[in-house]
Order: sequence, then structure tokens, then C-alpha cells
Amino acid sequence: MRPSLRHVPRALRTARPASRAAAAAAAPWLQHPQPQPPSRHLSTTSPTLHTPSSSSVNATEISHFSALASSWWDPHGPSRPLHLMNPLRHDFIQACLASSPTTSPPYSNLRYLDVGCGGGIFAESAARLPTTASVTAIDPSPTILAVARAHAKRDPSLGGKKLTYLSETIESLPLPAEPADRFDVVSVFEVVEHVDYPAAFLDRVGEFVKPGGWLVLSTIARTWTSWVTTNLVAEDILGVVPKGTHDWYKYINEGELRGYFGGKGGVWGPPRVMGVVFVPGLGWREVRGSEKVGNYFLGVQRVV
Amino acid sequence: MDAAIRRRGAYVCRSCTRSLQRQLRRTYSSAAQPDIYDVVCVGGGPAGLSLLTALRASPATAHLRVALVEAQDLAKIRSWKLPPDRFSNRCSSLTPSSALFLDQIGAWKHLERDRVQAYQEMQVWDGVTGARIEFDWAGSAPAAGTTIAYMNENLNLTSGLLKRLEELGGVSVFDKAKVESIAYGEETEELDLREWPVVHLSGGKQLSARLLVGADGANSPVRSFAGIEARGWDYNRHGVVATLQIEGEGWGADHSKIAYQRFLPTGPVAMLPLPGNYSTLVWSTTPSNASLLKSLSAKDFIAMVNAAFRLTPTDLEYMHTQESGQAEEYSWRLEHTPFDYRAVPQTAMGVQEGTVASFPLKLRHADTYIAERVALIGDAAHTIHPLAGQGLNQGQGDVQSLAKTIEYAVSHGQDIGVTMSLEPYLSERYAANHLLLGVCDKLHKLYSVGSGPLVPLRSVGLSAVNALGPLKAFFMNQAAGNGIKVF
Repeated sequence: MRPSLRHVPRALRTARPASRAAAAAAAPWLQHPQPQPPSRHLSTTSPTLHTPSSSSVNATEISHFSALASSWWDPHGPSRPLHLMNPLRHDFIQACLASSPTTSPPYSNLRYLDVGCGGGIFAESAARLPTTASVTAIDPSPTILAVARAHAKRDPSLGGKKLTYLSETIESLPLPAEPADRFDVVSVFEVVEHVDYPAAFLDRVGEFVKPGGWLVLSTIARTWTSWVTTNLVAEDILGVVPKGTHDWYKYINEGELRGYFGGKGGVWGPPRVMGVVFVPGLGWREVRGSEKVGNYFLGVQRVV
Repeated sequence: MDAAIRRRGAYVCRSCTRSLQRQLRRTYSSAAQPDIYDVVCVGGGPAGLSLLTALRASPATAHLRVALVEAQDLAKIRSWKLPPDRFSNRCSSLTPSSALFLDQIGAWKHLERDRVQAYQEMQVWDGVTGARIEFDWAGSAPAAGTTIAYMNENLNLTSGLLKRLEELGGVSVFDKAKVESIAYGEETEELDLREWPVVHLSGGKQLSARLLVGADGANSPVRSFAGIEARGWDYNRHGVVATLQIEGEGWGADHSKIAYQRFLPTGPVAMLPLPGNYSTLVWSTTPSNASLLKSLSAKDFIAMVNAAFRLTPTDLEYMHTQESGQAEEYSWRLEHTPFDYRAVPQTAMGVQEGTVASFPLKLRHADTYIAERVALIGDAAHTIHPLAGQGLNQGQGDVQSLAKTIEYAVSHGQDIGVTMSLEPYLSERYAANHLLLGVCDKLHKLYSVGSGPLVPLRSVGLSAVNALGPLKAFFMNQAAGNGIKVF
């Protein structure tokens, strides 16, 4: 069945083609005389929208990241910025947990679900924390998961049941029937900007968060600055990020995510955000207000 | 091993320990079983012991499984004891920042404090021209504390650290153990330890290390294993050390102890205060002068020490050609040498038996301090000229930085052995150490010149520094380790 595009805004429809070249050709700002950053309204249309694959996953994105698999853990390779960002993810999660009386420290036996785990940079680190009971990490690319599993073998502390990699999409992963069996922390790091239907994707991801648990994500705001820094400078000029990693049209602004979570009828608490800026030579630094400009974290607690 | 590896809270989780043990039984059923540690520290000197103490003392890293490998018998060092009127000849200057760190990790209180001597003043001068730079805290110096540094016997420090480690517990100690070899681990069905260093000890014991720390001195086997070069040069100088008995407790009495250093063309000679009427000597000189000094009778040796702070370099040069009789030569020449007796240390009256020794001086700096699952600290990373008394303090700075780096990595779920986690340690320490190594090297070379155009210039330099309050305060802060972190 062809997905119905009736409710999908034009910006999303035009960004949808699987090929980047086609996406660029259809890019709305190229069609307008006055280039404007397009708004990316997060449609709440049901997940049935994206049959036939019934998946949030974009085939081009998978093949792009699979090609990077061998260098995923090279500290001086193309994933270096991700490695450098990883400690900030933990700082942000700690800040989220500490902000709520129901999850504030001391906490222990936290259960994590890492969606789009890639080579396992975050999943491994979460599994090593003494406060972690288990980490379930999923990714649609078997090539990358092979890298993740091989890398986890190098650390005896990751053995046993603490870290589990599954070749699943969020749609194919079975949802625990009991809300209490769902996850304390569901992380979606640097993923939503690679997903075709972010609203449907987040709908599904949100179901895995246990009441009182946190959904934590990071992505990039769609601004002229982020186009210059992530596409032009990082990929084309400096080459610190592999070419073709980012599709600027898929970036999501913080305000759009706020609107999405706020529109869920009180399921989610007020979002927490942290903007971060990559300083060459120094690494990532938190910069207040930069969530409006470039990379940022957003966390929401599931109220019910 | 079973009990040890199952210790509650260890980094290696229980379920994987069990699977690991099954696997180890299978794989190593005939060979010695390797033991998995988060940190294996080779070398039980001040740097290695401080690192383990820091890791055990911090709540963030106390759960790590740590091991210490040391060739010497640590029980002997731990129970080290000398009568109050006897001092070891191997002493080091501890800056207030080093002392603060030792206090933070709970070791300072385990030192025998009545054997530690704080000093508040430094007298440094050029032996050729007599130009002086006087360091004291009056005037422009910052008000923060009056202590420049503490003189302390190295054994007092290592003994105190061992007592603190014993109090903390939880370190697997392998002393009187020789490192036979270091190799990489193996890959099995469940584990891939091909990048994990395995330390093979005499007797067959094997320790697998998530992070192998080389605190094993200037000829570090860990550094060789990691393939890291240490570059530098020998100064063709020896440091002659001795414990001296002085005529009094110093010109400033007990409340204002003074450290003295005179730059001679053969190298600097320093006399540093110990408690009461005692001082420790560090005399950098040529190897032939050093062997002459060691061959002298106590009476002649003391005469040479007193001459070194009072007579001209020419007088000294002559006295180094005498096989004996320096005492008579000194008293005769002293009568004909004008000097301000309050500007030099009080007269040495005796030297403690068996304390005259010497060691070669060199400069070495490792190309890097980190490799995959390897970190170098202290002398394994760098060896410095002793003229600024910074060797041990540099090691303490390394330890403080590495412990902080490990703590950050652990609290953010990073593998503490990978270079990615260790990078902050390297970037924090390498440039700082390199600068200090260079400064001390240049000072040595500048003052090794006995004549020529450099001599008046350097005297102008010292006199100018002496006249410039803020600049002097800056130097003093660096010496005390509490200045801007340039050095």
C-alpha cells in the first residue's frame, strides 16, 4: 500500500525520497525564490503511514552508517566527535534524573533502551555505570551490530546480561506488556535527524518509556548556522564528519519537538534542553541558548 | 582468585566473572590463570603508591579492582623507622600543592610529621659573580601561606602512603615480584583480550590489565612494552647527597627555615633544611669530583661542603685536586675569603655515617604518556635535573591528573584503558612537564658557564629579578606549585 501523504506537510513529503540527490532536487528552499529554512511540522499521523516497510528506517541511512562500521571505534576516525560527545550524554541524563523527585539520586538498577545504538558508544558506556541494571541496544544495521558485539567482547565487564544488542527497529521490538517492565531511560541519540517520519517514530519510542521514566534525545536544529557547521564545514571543508552523514532537511528544531511533546495531552512533562557546541581542539561544550542554533539534547519525563 | 574476583562491587560484574572463570578453566587449564584487573600499577614508589591511594580513597573509583607490582619488600618500607637524630639521604622537596593532594587522599597524616621540615625562605646565588636572588614571603609575595615547600625523606612518604593504603585496603599487592614479561592477552569465544596487557610475574602469576600504569622509574619496562621512546641526554654530572649536621638550626631559627642553592660552574650545590640541626645536601658536580667527594674522610668532606658555599670556584677547583687534607686547606683559604656569613648556610659540623652517595643526572622525556591501555607517571614519563626540586612534585602532579581522568571516565561509563579516556591526562600534563624540564635544563646550562659574555648577563638577570617584586613573586609561586599553571 502506498502511504497516504495527505496529512504530511510538503516539507516532509519532499524530503522523503530515499536518494539524497532526489531529496536535494526536491528541496523546497531551492524551489522558492527566497531561501527559507523550511518548517518541519511533526505530523501525528499514525505509524501505518509508512508501510510497506512499517519502519522508521531509511535504507540509504543504513547503508551510509554500515559503511562506517569498521572505523566506528577508531578514536581518531570519523566517529571521533561522537566519542567526544558521549560523556555529555551522561551528564545530561544525570541532570534529567536529578531534576525529578521520582528519579533523583540515589538511584540504582536503571534499565536503558538505546534506539539506533550504532557501534555501541553510548550503550557500552551506559552498561558500565554502577547504577545500571541492563542496557538493551537496538539498531537496524546488522553490519554495525556485528561491530558493536565484537567491540563489547573486548571488555569483560560488559559480559553476561548487562548489555544486549538486538537487530531490531523500534517498530519490530516487542513492547513489554506491563508498563512497569518498560524502560527507565530510553535514549535516541543523533537518530531523529536520520528518520523519515520523526513524529510516528517518536510515538512508538515513547511507548517504551515506563511511567516516571525519561525519553532523552539529541539532534541538530535546522538553522543556517547548523547547515554551515554540520554540512559545509564539518563534512565538506574539515571532513571531521563523513560526507553524507547529515541531511539538513531532516534536522528538527527544539521548538518543533517542544510542540510535539506538548501536544500529547499531558503524557510528557516539560522538556529539559541543553545546547552544545563543538569547539575544535577542545571538544563539546555546553553553551546556553545554543539549542536554538545547532546540536542539542532534549529530555522529557513520562508522567503517565 | 575466585574470592578475589567476586569481591563485591568490583568493576568486573559477577555474571561475567562466572562465565569468565568457566572459560579460564577451559582455556588455561594447564597454564597459570590470568587475573583480570581494572588497574595494574607496576612500581611501588611515591608515584605508584599515590595513584593507588587516590583511586582507593575516591568513592567514584573505590570499586575498581587494582593491583600493585613491586620488586622490593614493601613490608620493610612500611615499617621504616629511624631514630630522631638520623635522616635518610634521599629527600625531596614537596610543594604545598603536593602536600595538599597527599592530605586530600588521606596520606599526609600518616607521614611522621616531626621528620618533615617546612621552609619559608630561599637563598639562591651565582657562585661566579655573587649576584643573588632572595626568595622570602615578605613584601610583594602573596599572603597565601608562608611555606615555600617541605623537605621530606622519600622513605617517610612511601612508608606513609603504604600505611594509608593498608588502612584503605582492597589493593592486591604483589611485592618482591619480578616482572618477567608483559605481553598481550588472547581471544576466546567470549572475550577478546588481544589489546589487554598481561603482566607475567616470576612464579607464573599473570595479571591482565584494563589499564597498565607504568610507575616503574626511568628505565620503565612498561614504557618499553608500549613502544614509547624516552628522549633526552645525560648531563655528565652526578648528584652527591648526604645528611649533614649543622652548627645550629639555621639563621632564621625554627620558625623561618632557609633553603640555600649556589650555582657553581660544575653545577648547583644545595643545602636544604631538615628538622633541628640537620640539613640535606644535593651537590651536582662532575663524575670525577663526585667520586673524590665520596672518597674523603668525614672531616675533609665537611670542609668541601662548607667551601662550596663560601670559597671561589677557583679555590674549589684546586681543592678537588687534593686527595686529602681539604680541612686544613679550607680553614686557611677561608681566612682570605671575604663573605657575609649570614648570607650562607650555617657551618656544617658533621656528616652522618653512610649517607654520602651519588647518582647520575639526566634529562628524559617520553614521547607520550599514554598508549592503548597504558599510562606512564612519574620518572617513567620524565626525569628532570634536581636543581629546582621538582622531580617528585611533577610525579604528584601526574598522579593527581591521572586519578582525576580515571574518575571522570568511570563516572561517564568510559573504558578507563582506552586512549580516548586517557587523552585528558596527556593534554593536561605533557606541556606543563615539558616546560618545567626545559626551564631547569636551561638554568643548568646557563650556570655551567664559568666565564665569558653569559656570566655578567646572567648576573644582571638575577639582580633584575631580585629588584622586580611581581616577577619574583611569580617565581616563588612557581616554586611553591601554587602559581599560574605555567610550569
